[in-house]
Order: sequence, then C-alpha cells, then structure tokens
Amino acid sequence: MRWFGFGFNAFEQICVHGKVTEDAGSDVKVTCPTELKSHVETSSCCLKKPGEIRASWSRRASLHLDGDSCVCLAGFVTATSVESCGVSGPKTCGCTDAVISEYHLTLTFPGRVEVWDIQKKESTPKWSMEINTQSDHTLKLPLVPGGYITNKPPFYHSLSPCLKAKSLALGAEHALLLCVTGDVYTWGLGSHGQLGHGGLTSEEEPRAVEALCGMPMSSVATGGWHSVCISAGGDLYVWGWNESGQLGLPSQGVRKALQQNQHTQQGNLGQEVKSSEEELQEVEKLKEFFISIQAFPALLDVTPSCEIKAVSCGSRHTAAVTTTGDLYTWGWGEYGQLGHQTLMSSDEPQRVEFFKEQQLRVVEVVCGTWNTFAAAIKEELSCS
Amino acid sequence: MKTSSSVAQLWPQISAALPASEDQFLLLFSDTVESSVLDLLKRSRRHLYSQTSNSSLSLNAQIVLDYSWEKLNTGTWRDVDKEWRRVYSYGCLFKVAALCRGGPSEDELRQAIRTCDMGLLMGAAIMDNILQVIVGILQSQFKKSCEDGDDQGQPEVKRMKTECPLVPVIREELAVPRVKCPSLESFKTNYLLPLKPVVLEGVIDHWPALNQHPWSIDYLRSVAGCRTVPVEVGSRYTDEEWSQTLLTVDEFIDRFISNEDKAKGLGYLAQHQLFDQIPELKEDIRFPDYCCLGEDDEDHITVNAWFGPGGTVSPLHQDPQQNFLAQVVGSKYIRLYSPEHTDKLYPHQSPLLHNTSQVEVESPDTQRFPEFSKAPYLECVLQPGDVLFIPVQHWHYIRSLELSFSVSFWWS
Repeated sequence: MRWFGFGFNAFEQICVHGKVTEDAGSDVKVTCPTELKSHVETSSCCLKKPGEIRASWSRRASLHLDGDSCVCLAGFVTATSVESCGVSGPKTCGCTDAVISEYHLTLTFPGRVEVWDIQKKESTPKWSMEINTQSDHTLKLPLVPGGYITNKPPFYHSLSPCLKAKSLALGAEHALLLCVTGDVYTWGLGSHGQLGHGGLTSEEEPRAVEALCGMPMSSVATGGWHSVCISAGGDLYVWGWNESGQLGLPSQGVRKALQQNQHTQQGNLGQEVKSSEEELQEVEKLKEFFISIQAFPALLDVTPSCEIKAVSCGSRHTAAVTTTGDLYTWGWGEYGQLGHQTLMSSDEPQRVEFFKEQQLRVVEVVCGTWNTFAAAIKEELSCS
Repeated sequence: MKTSSSVAQLWPQISAALPASEDQFLLLFSDTVESSVLDLLKRSRRHLYSQTSNSSLSLNAQIVLDYSWEKLNTGTWRDVDKEWRRVYSYGCLFKVAALCRGGPSEDELRQAIRTCDMGLLMGAAIMDNILQVIVGILQSQFKKSCEDGDDQGQPEVKRMKTECPLVPVIREELAVPRVKCPSLESFKTNYLLPLKPVVLEGVIDHWPALNQHPWSIDYLRSVAGCRTVPVEVGSRYTDEEWSQTLLTVDEFIDRFISNEDKAKGLGYLAQHQLFDQIPELKEDIRFPDYCCLGEDDEDHITVNAWFGPGGTVSPLHQDPQQNFLAQVVGSKYIRLYSPEHTDKLYPHQSPLLHNTSQVEVESPDTQRFPEFSKAPYLECVLQPGDVLFIPVQHWHYIRSLELSFSVSFWWS
C-alpha cells in the first residue's frame, strides 16, 4: 500500500520543498498527488511504510502499528517533531491509536490514554487517564471506553453507555456520533446547519438525527462546519455549510469564482466575453438554486453507479472513496486539496484522475485541515 | 499601461507608517495562537523587510488570512478570541503590503483598500490602528488616480432625490410630542427620567452634514465611494430571504439607490459603525449634548449609520440602551410602543429574536395576534433635522418613506 498526499504543504507535511525555490507557491500548494516519503531518513522506524495517517493543519502523523508500533510526525518543526522518533518528545512506542491537532498528540496505549503538548519539548504527557481497554478494544480515537477525548482541557468527556458508541467525528464546534445500531447523533454548535436537525440552534446533549432514522449508517465524518455519513448501502448523506461547495451542492461562491476564471481565460484567448454585470445577473437569477446552508441530511449522488466505501473531510472540503477504487473530491480547492491539478474549488464531486492514470486503486482517504491523503494499491493486485 | 508618478510615492508613504526595521515589528500573541501560525506570521514579516518577491509575501499573507478566517467563523462571533481578530488584521496588513509594494495598478489599489476595510470590519486594531492610517493613504492615492484618469469627470449633480413620498397622516392624539431645543434640565425632567419619547427639533442644525457639506449621493461617493461596508439585502431582517453582503459604497449606490430594481430586493446599509471606519464622515456629525446626561463618555456611545432607499423596514423591536435617532436626509415613519405593553406585542420565541415582535405593524394578522390592536402607541414622521428620543426598551418600528440617511446614538 502506498500513501499519496496533496494540498497545503507550507510546513512540508506532504513533501520536502525543492532547493532554493523559496519563492514558488508550487511548493506550498501541492496540486498533484505526491507519494509520501519518509521524513526522517536516518531513523530506522520511519523507514517503515505508514499503516495509517492522521493530519492537522500544519502536521502529519504516520502510524506504524505493526511490530514495535510508533508514531512519526512530519510538518511544522517545533522542538519535538524533529526527534519524534528519538529520545525527547512524545513517547509513542507501543501505542495503538493516535489523533493529532495543532496543540496536541493524543495516544492510546493498552490501559491508558495520553495527551502530549507538541508545542513544547516535554518528556511527560500533559494529561493522561487510565482506561479499561479490556472492555472494548475496537474503539478508535477520539472514542475511549466510557467517553471521548477532545483537544482542549478537560480532554475527557463521558458518553451515555445507552448510546453504544461505535465511532465519533469532531468538527470545529460540533460532534457526530455513530452508534452500533447505525443511528447517528449530533450535538454542539448548530449555526451552520451542521447538526442536521433542520434548524440552526445548538444542542448540549447528543440528539438523534431523525431524518436518518431507520437507515443504518456505517461511517461518519465531519469538516469544520459540515457533516457527512455513509449508509450501510453505500449512499452518502451530507449537511451543514456549503460555503465552498463542501457538500457537493450548488454553491454561489464557487460558481462565481468559476465564471470569473473562465472570463479571464476567454479574455486571454481574445474571445468575446460577457460583461461581469451580465454574469452577475445570471448568478442572481439562479439564487434559488444555490444552497448555502443545508440543515437536513441530503443524499448526494457522487457517482451514478457505485457505492461509497470511505469518506473524510477537511475544514472545507470532502473526499470519498468508491468500492471500485476511485477517489472523488469536492469543496474548497485553494491549496490544491482536491487533487485536480488546479486551485479551483468545486461544488460537484469530481474524480481524481491521477490514480486512474497510474492504474492505482484507492482504498482509503484521510483529510487534514487543508490537505488530503489517500492510500492506493496497484490495480492488478485487486483483480487477482 | 500608464503609471503615474504619484503611485511611485505610495510605498514610501506606507513604509513610513510601518516600523523601521524587522526587529521593531513586534508579533506578540497569547497561547491561543498556535506556534505554527506564529511561524507563518514571522515568515510574512521577514518577506516584508527583505527583498524577496511579492508572491511569497502575498502567499503567506493569504494563508494567515484563510486560517484566521476559519477561526473567526468558529463558534459565535462574541466568543471568538480577540487574538484571532488581531491575527486577521496582520494578515490584512501583509496582504496590503504585497499589493502596494510594487506600485499598484488601479485594480490592486482597490483590492488594497478593500483589504484594509475587511481588517477594520472583522479584525481588531493592531499597531496603533495602522490599517486606518494606511487606508487613509490609499484613499487619497485612489482619488488622485481617479482624477488623473478621467479629466472630464461626470457632471452629474445628483442631489438626494426628494420624490414627495406619501406621508402617512399622523393623528394628533397619537403624535410623539415635539419640542424645540429644550434645556438639558427640561429634557431630563420631562422625558429622560419618565422615559417618554420626544422629537427634538433644532438640535442638530449645526451639523456640517446638514449645512457645510450637505450629505448628497455625490458627497458620499467622494468621501466613501471606494470603501467596503456591510449591506443588508431583503426588506426586513426577519424575512427568510434576508442576507448580509459586503459592497463598496459606490456599488451599494449603483445597485440599490440610483437604479432601484425591485427584483434585486432592497439594500440597506444598516446598523453599521461607519463613522469609526471613515473618520472624515465623523467630522460631519456631533454627539447630541443630551448624551452627557448619561453615564457614558463619548467613547462608549455607539454611533450607527442607517442609509438606504425608500421602503426599508426595521420590524418592531426593542434595544437595551437609550437611543437618539437623528434624521439627516429624507423622512421615516416611526411607531413606538411602551415596554409596559410587551404582552400585546408577541415577541419571537427564539432567543436570537426575542427582542423582536412577530407582528407586521402596518398590516397585522389580527387572527394570530388579537391583542396587538389593543396596545396603545405613538407615531411620527421624522424629517431632516429631527432627532427622536427612543427611551431604553421602548418598542419601535421604522419604515423609510424615501431615500434616507439617519444616525443613531446608543447610550446609557
């Protein structure tokens, strides 16, 4: 399995900048999927291929879960991350799962969970708690037995055992919980429709998303202000803020930008162009058709024929993998995070052609805040 | 492309407003701002003081802006940490520098002014309000290049249209009392202490806005045309279709005042602290003397501009402070209900709108709101030069009868 990354690379979290070209934006914005290389070549553990990826805005964490499991960090270099495989900084050996934010690296070990401050060079975790991993060892972070871990103190929050939590996704100010039963609960800030209850009000306690009742879900993900989930049948549901087209629904801002771009291109080619006022009027006419906030779950047709297998969100973009091994992305594209080799945003799901061209089958996707990481295998292997 | 010599002097002027060296340009933030963001701010600062190309400075500035924009949109506005508003302002500053360093085109100049305004609207003051200083420099440059550009000018002497609106007939027994320049003591005893509304006449006649340079479309365009302001679109803020957008004053006038197009809806530059943003306009108004009867000094009085075409409506609502509403241009119909009749006014249930009535005052749904017609009220038509005292918590409904510019003073 090979991992590829694209999008925001100002901290070299995808690939190390070429020499001398401090000037070029192409290093900061990686628009074409680029295979991840070991960041620290000298350290033996980092030579292993990562099994899983986690990403924050400025960093990427590679989880090596086979054998002597550990976590390696790439990206913004503070005191700790250079030597993440060395002596100081978070001691990750033996961990079973990890989550990374701008401030913290959260690690689970058999019997405990630890939160490390990655902005400071410290030899002990900032916070830790005993957990009973015997009871449920299948839980993934941010879930832990009995509750979940956020990236701000007091870190641990309990969850009612009645909910039978299976997985949890945390947005900027909201949470999306998938239960063993396939039900979905949301809570937190609702100002952008991200809770899916039809309104913009906030919820302090987990509340079932009624529109999805009776339709068991298999996976959930959240962006900054949007939510997505995959049904057991492989359908994708989306709701929340569509400011950059992150829901894959018609977005006024995205259409305006696309028109402006066409305008410039046509202008350059010397073609006749409509005045911006005319175009503005066209956009105005379509006003009813645009969606800024979708406060109820909406079914999104990513591709006409196949099912969705995995989904992940950046702050303002979304990426989904189909059962046929294609990667589709949509939403904000300013940093190249859509992988379409442009910086344009898209309010429609579009296939990332790179993987098809390379005869690669995408099997997994993980988004950072402004970038995207996808795991792929050679097409032949999957056919055998 | 013509580059006038004055553009060459622009960067030295802006440069002079910046700290002399990189060492003197401080970047101090609380722990809220992550070290990765601080790193980017420092990179931007280094690009600003070194001879690297503008694209690096521009790119780093944009990253700072995009990241802090996400923070400004996280949680409710009043809970956003001020540090993120400061980071946003620094992003604006770096972007403006990148736009102006190489001798900007007219379009870049516009962008730079817009960027300063975004910083003034969404950011927090940094470096002794440097964005305010820079936007002043940019604006005078912009005026110069406009004058250079079209010498013939447009001799459109457009006064504010006075189209003789249909003024509602005010029944004498319901009319808000009017007094001419009452003494402080008399205002206090007869209106302020008993919280009774009154129209004060003759108290703003000395405002430059009413005599020296009477506010006209042309005057507003010349003082503020290129400045970006928030505009409400839709007839009233309780409507589903209502939205807010950012436009320059010129765009706002073109779209919603000069060519009134019903299909586009009504645009209203409402409840905006325009006078903090554009000090030149502040020179044209004065704090009413009666404000001194309150406990606030002038810094704590909130001054808002309300500028829009005829037909804008502020639904019946109440505010938590005393209000002087000064009418500068055009006329407005206003109805007032005392807070003791709140039970007949059907406030909205939602916490966001609980200070707003559900009733459409001039065409009430008597089935849904049977008590409403029993609530006694006062009404008036405010004319240029009038100042209405709206006591704290008094419910008020306002509809502009024609093109109108009012200034409100909220004080305690």
